[in-house]
Amino acid sequence: MTTDHHHHPPEPAPIERRVAALEQLLTERGLVTPDLVDEVNRAYEEDIGPRNGAQVVARAWVDPEYKRRLLLDGTAAIAELGFGGAEGDHMQVVENTDAVHNVVVCTLCSCYPWPVLGLPPAWYKDPPYRARVVREPRVVLAEMGCRLDDDVEIAVWDSSAEQRYLVLPQRPAGTDDLTEEQLAELVTRDAMIGVARL
Amino acid sequence: MSGLDRIEVPRRNGELAFDEPWQARAFGLAAVLIRTRFDEDWEPFRTRLIAAIAADEARPYWESWTEALEDLLISTDLVSSDDLDALTPP
Repeated sequence: MTTDHHHHPPEPAPIERRVAALEQLLTERGLVTPDLVDEVNRAYEEDIGPRNGAQVVARAWVDPEYKRRLLLDGTAAIAELGFGGAEGDHMQVVENTDAVHNVVVCTLCSCYPWPVLGLPPAWYKDPPYRARVVREPRVVLAEMGCRLDDDVEIAVWDSSAEQRYLVLPQRPAGTDDLTEEQLAELVTRDAMIGVARL
Repeated sequence: MSGLDRIEVPRRNGELAFDEPWQARAFGLAAVLIRTRFDEDWEPFRTRLIAAIAADEARPYWESWTEALEDLLISTDLVSSDDLDALTPP
């Protein structure tokens, strides 16, 4: 029997014990309840995520007047569709064109527009992406499968407490017959961060 | 290059943001506390998260997150480090 270690879970790591201790203390003091924590996590798993941002993008594609408002005041136009809340203030939407491709990063930590994209993926928070996309965006994008022609300018937007960014990707060719709902299905999280094209 | 070759398309409403359950607990604790005790103002936490990441870039993200949360709770007297240490003997 060489595989019976499956039956003996390892001791919790120090960080797991630390988090469990925090939760225990906070619960004892009535500052949190485990149910509330579950509820927050469930919301981010099921309700708050990139499908919200995809609806914003699809609306902008089909409604020029909405797009105008979106580029003028991202927070207000996103709120029109019912999205807002934690980490959703100060939204700026940046539009990809034939000439400019936008990409978003947070160089200092992990600022990210939660109401429209949910929680950031692991690579967004890791040092390689945070450091390198500023220094050599074209190389990093190519490594992530997003190859841009040399004459396309790349604009890198560094998120902060004061400003969050959502990339408005270009509408793919040949989608004239699609409904707004069908268009939203085409929009990916990575395209709204700017590390992919559609 | 860790992570940059691992690109996933969103499923349902995005990929799971957590690799392990304790990370979800650490996130949820911060989110609940900042909503209920800090009037949804993430700034005091964010400044600590930036500091925790800068202090040790190699430390895994959610460990820096937990460090920032501890620091916020201790500095605002919601939790004492003695109580925390008592629950996590070496």
